[in-house]
Amino acid sequence: MYLLWLRIAAILYGIASLSAFRAVFGHRSVWRRICLPISVAAWLFHVVSAVEMLVLAHRWMPVGMHEVQSILALLIVTVFLVIALRYRTLSFGIFALPLAFLLVVVPTLGPDRHTFSSPVIRSGWLLLHITALLAAYAALIFSLLASLFYLFQERRLKSKRSPGFLNWLPPLDTMDQIAQKTLVLGFHCMTIGLFAGSIIAQESVGPAYFADPKIWLSFVMWGLYVVMLFVRRSTGLRGRRAVYLSSAVFVVMLCVWAANLLSSVHRFSAP
Amino acid sequence: MKILLTGLNHKTAPVELRERLAIAPEELAGETRALISHPGIREGLILSTCNRVELLVCYEGGEPELASYLNERFAVDSQSLQPHLYQHRESEAVRHLFRVAASLDSMVVGEPQILGQVKESYAAARSVGAVGGNLERLLQGALSAAKKVRTETQIGASSVSIASVAVDLARKIFGSLEGKRVLLVGAGKMSELAARHLMQHGAGSLLISNRTHERALSLAQKFKGHVVRFDDLHARADEADILITSTGSPEFIFRTPHAQQFLHRRRNRPMFIIDIAVPRDVDPEINRLDGIFLYDIDDLQSVAVSNLSDRGREAQRAEEILEHELARYQRRIETLDVVPALVDLQAAAEDMRQAELRRAQSRLHSLTPAQQGAVEAVTRGLMNKFLHQPLQALKAAAREGDLVTVEAIRAAFGLNGTSEATAHADQPAEPRTSNEPALTIKERND
Repeated sequence: MYLLWLRIAAILYGIASLSAFRAVFGHRSVWRRICLPISVAAWLFHVVSAVEMLVLAHRWMPVGMHEVQSILALLIVTVFLVIALRYRTLSFGIFALPLAFLLVVVPTLGPDRHTFSSPVIRSGWLLLHITALLAAYAALIFSLLASLFYLFQERRLKSKRSPGFLNWLPPLDTMDQIAQKTLVLGFHCMTIGLFAGSIIAQESVGPAYFADPKIWLSFVMWGLYVVMLFVRRSTGLRGRRAVYLSSAVFVVMLCVWAANLLSSVHRFSAP
Repeated sequence: MKILLTGLNHKTAPVELRERLAIAPEELAGETRALISHPGIREGLILSTCNRVELLVCYEGGEPELASYLNERFAVDSQSLQPHLYQHRESEAVRHLFRVAASLDSMVVGEPQILGQVKESYAAARSVGAVGGNLERLLQGALSAAKKVRTETQIGASSVSIASVAVDLARKIFGSLEGKRVLLVGAGKMSELAARHLMQHGAGSLLISNRTHERALSLAQKFKGHVVRFDDLHARADEADILITSTGSPEFIFRTPHAQQFLHRRRNRPMFIIDIAVPRDVDPEINRLDGIFLYDIDDLQSVAVSNLSDRGREAQRAEEILEHELARYQRRIETLDVVPALVDLQAAAEDMRQAELRRAQSRLHSLTPAQQGAVEAVTRGLMNKFLHQPLQALKAAAREGDLVTVEAIRAAFGLNGTSEATAHADQPAEPRTSNEPALTIKERND
């Protein structure tokens, strides 16, 4: 049954994506009115699907790539909804909703064929580790998006021409606040996630866990994150340089995501 | 009931004449009351703004002399008034009102104030009982069309004055202007206007700096701001989020090193600089710095001009929407127009039935009450059956806007002569005399 809810959520994400584009680039207010309710409906179906899936499996952990993707999409839409309600802007929807749609398309095809079978996955620490890191990824994506929007808006204002197709860009200050807040949120999530992961790895693998490429890349990402946060906070860094920094961390984040292929610690196969 | 609109606006009359006819908002209700006391006028409304004075009336009988009404009321001689007046009747008056409410007839097309002014006039007219069914429908139609134009086009989305462009740009940078600090350097009409506009839109406080300290003090008093000594200008300019400068200095007052210091002290928080001075006070190179947004008078002007041309394009779309809304309104009015005909037809038939029963009374009086009841029921049933088809056809024709069929049914039942008298049946002020149509039909049948 959870697959049905997920499929409905996927269809609604698709419709919400279209309405976000129409709301941001079009003139008709009807799209602005329906975009948020459709997104909320999609999010609710997605939550129901995720909870049902985990309850049926008697665990609180996503155990395969499909499930992880689905949870990441859910977190991305959650952040989008929080921003849309707090800052009254749908602009992030043109990226966040299609991304969520693409992330849930594959999981809607069916359950994971290959799942992590290790008993460790039932551990609460691992739940904390994965959820916190997925939330950190979602927050970082939004921080990067906000920094990019800031850059476009800054260029637009400086060029003194006002191309109509960029009218939808939110004010600079809003972008700055979103970029800063999501960055701080992401940092907390990442710190918690890595801390939980380190404890699990110490327990199960021992001190050798630090040699794993995914793990040391994760710590590099965390270090970069600290630097980015420090620089942005201390100098009030905005605009182009902020985008460079966020992009660097984002690239490392993608490497960390991809490093699963090389990681022995993250196999989670049955012993 | 007929509709007439008379008035003058910025296109037809100079401001000297418009201001003589202008009516203050608090006097609108009284003037509207005076207008509807004019012979023949049943409903009325006065729209008075700085760009127009218009009288809209629904009347019966001969056309009211609104021009002479204006002459008398405002003591303007007719020779100087007449050439500037326009008059619109029936559908043209409806179209004009729709265009006015949608801000398509305004001096600055798309300006938002006019809709509020139409609503004020409407409220004033209602308060004195000058709005009946006809004007109610007309104004509701105009207001809903104007709302549709606002929501479906971008006609009022962009600013077209220098001061409002400055506010718009400030909003694009800071989001809300709440709590933002404005520094006004030098004095000038335009810079004062921009500062006033920013303050009206929520800017928190105003700092004023002028070479002449006394001038700064008097400005500070006027705007309830604080004075910054001109010598301290570079040391304190970073306190402001928005800097408006318009001094008569022949050289730049603010150069790149100054702006770098401002940014450093502001920890890179953005700063919006509006340079209205000619020659300019701010080195244009400053705009290259991240976090500084510099606009001079030409930049603001070009944004305003480009927005104005955008409005022109949107106005074309708005005209299309208005045409659609006008057609919808006309259809609705035509549907409503057959209601009196339906009522008249039923009343005429009932009168005929009663007359026939009275005529046959001598032959029927020997019947028992039960038999008389049966006769009553049979005649009523016959009448209803006979009327069923024509009534349905009338309703269907009205729904489809088929005026030919409506007219044919009216003619067939001899209702044409009566529709005028019953057209204002929905008016509470003028109760309909239901005998008139019945008599007309009877006379023809007899």
